[in-house]
Amino acid sequence: MVTTASRVPHELEFEAKRAPRGRWTLRQWLGMPLFLAVVGTALYAWVSAQELDSIEQRTLNAGELTKRVIEHLQLAAVSTVIVIAVAVPLGILATRRSARFVAPVVLVLGNLGQAIPSLGLITLVVLLAGVGFESVVFGLVAYSALPILRNTMVGLQQVDQTLVKSARGMGMSPMQTLLRIELPLAVPVVLAGIRTALILNIGTATLATFFGVQALGYVIFQGIQLDRTPVLIVGAVLASGLALLVDWLAAAVEELLTPRGL
Amino acid sequence: MDFYEYLVDNAEFLFSDAVDHVVVVALSIGIALVLGCALGVLAHRSARLRPVILAVSSTLLTIPSLALFAIFIPLLGLGTPPAVTALVLYALLPIVRNTVVGLGSVDQFVLRAARGMGMGSWRRFTSIELPLAWPVVLTGVRVSTQVVVGIAAIAALVNGPGLGNEIFRGLRSLGSPFALNFVLGGTLAIVVVALLFDAVFVLLRRLTTARGIR
Repeated sequence: MVTTASRVPHELEFEAKRAPRGRWTLRQWLGMPLFLAVVGTALYAWVSAQELDSIEQRTLNAGELTKRVIEHLQLAAVSTVIVIAVAVPLGILATRRSARFVAPVVLVLGNLGQAIPSLGLITLVVLLAGVGFESVVFGLVAYSALPILRNTMVGLQQVDQTLVKSARGMGMSPMQTLLRIELPLAVPVVLAGIRTALILNIGTATLATFFGVQALGYVIFQGIQLDRTPVLIVGAVLASGLALLVDWLAAAVEELLTPRGL
Repeated sequence: MDFYEYLVDNAEFLFSDAVDHVVVVALSIGIALVLGCALGVLAHRSARLRPVILAVSSTLLTIPSLALFAIFIPLLGLGTPPAVTALVLYALLPIVRNTVVGLGSVDQFVLRAARGMGMGSWRRFTSIELPLAWPVVLTGVRVSTQVVVGIAAIAALVNGPGLGNEIFRGLRSLGSPFALNFVLGGTLAIVVVALLFDAVFVLLRRLTTARGIR
């Protein structure tokens, strides 16, 4: 952890937190799924024991909740795919030799942009683009582009320049150097950025309920507005569990995709 | 009504919301600093507790903000209490992790030298380890603050105080010509608050870093 922190400037410590580490132990593979299974069972048992009134029944039934979960996953998945497709190439472009001067500007703007609250940004996007699925996705993309962009740039910049020079000296073209040397070495940091963006999207997707998309935030907000504790608890626990599950899956993918040599 | 007129008309209102925002963030960060440092020291000292403490605090940061705010309503009611509780939990991870990193980067030879000079464990901690780790800890606090200033906007949902209320005013009047003003006003004011906090941290870093390592 100390070596990770010293390789990147202080401001980046937070983003670079999920840098490469050793292979996973059994506890890492099984811990989170087991924990979620226990929480899920407990929640189910608790809700089953409650005497639900008609309002609660309207939200708390399998069909309704499945719809909310699917809606939530769709929002997070679509926005994450788009943000990867946009921000990774941009990050690569910003670190090319011809565009080197762009990198510090992007990083400074990025740090400023981090101060913009998610709620404000998405509301602004929806105000300009209208209520609905597409606008929320657009808002999520705008909010989560930063960690991917930043980590792509940092990941490429921390590649040992002597390696790049040797590759060029061996006769590799800039494109070959990028694809076979720089990108594989940057993979762990880029993946960490993608995972951060995914978690931001899953979390921020709960706010979609204010913009006409009824994901899990809808269940939570129904619980608050109608003052129905079971609805609120189910919404909050489902949203949290989903985020933790996706984060665990992303960590597993990160582990599997990291090149063996690293 | 253009944005400038809106700002002039609502300056007082925005200012009091901004003050509320700053107070809630400062309160949460203050609590998180004490709690996070304590947990960080514990994680630094005990190799067995370290993975548990780090895993729990990073799990907390993964939970969607709306869910974390909401889950405390049955226990704490609406308003400031659930907001501050959720914000403290969000602020923990960067502080805990940087405390562990900071303490871990203290040179072992320096500690042994201090021991050889006859310093007890408490004095070694307060006058060697903590001052040397402090710049890294403070960076963690700064990151936490940036995160919390943004998330605090969502506190308005649980009837919490702060600039989020201005954004929600815009949200509720979605479609009216004034909505954009409210949302833009609230959002920009939060950015200003975040930048002010950052400036304070630059100053704090100067003032609180031990002279020898400045």
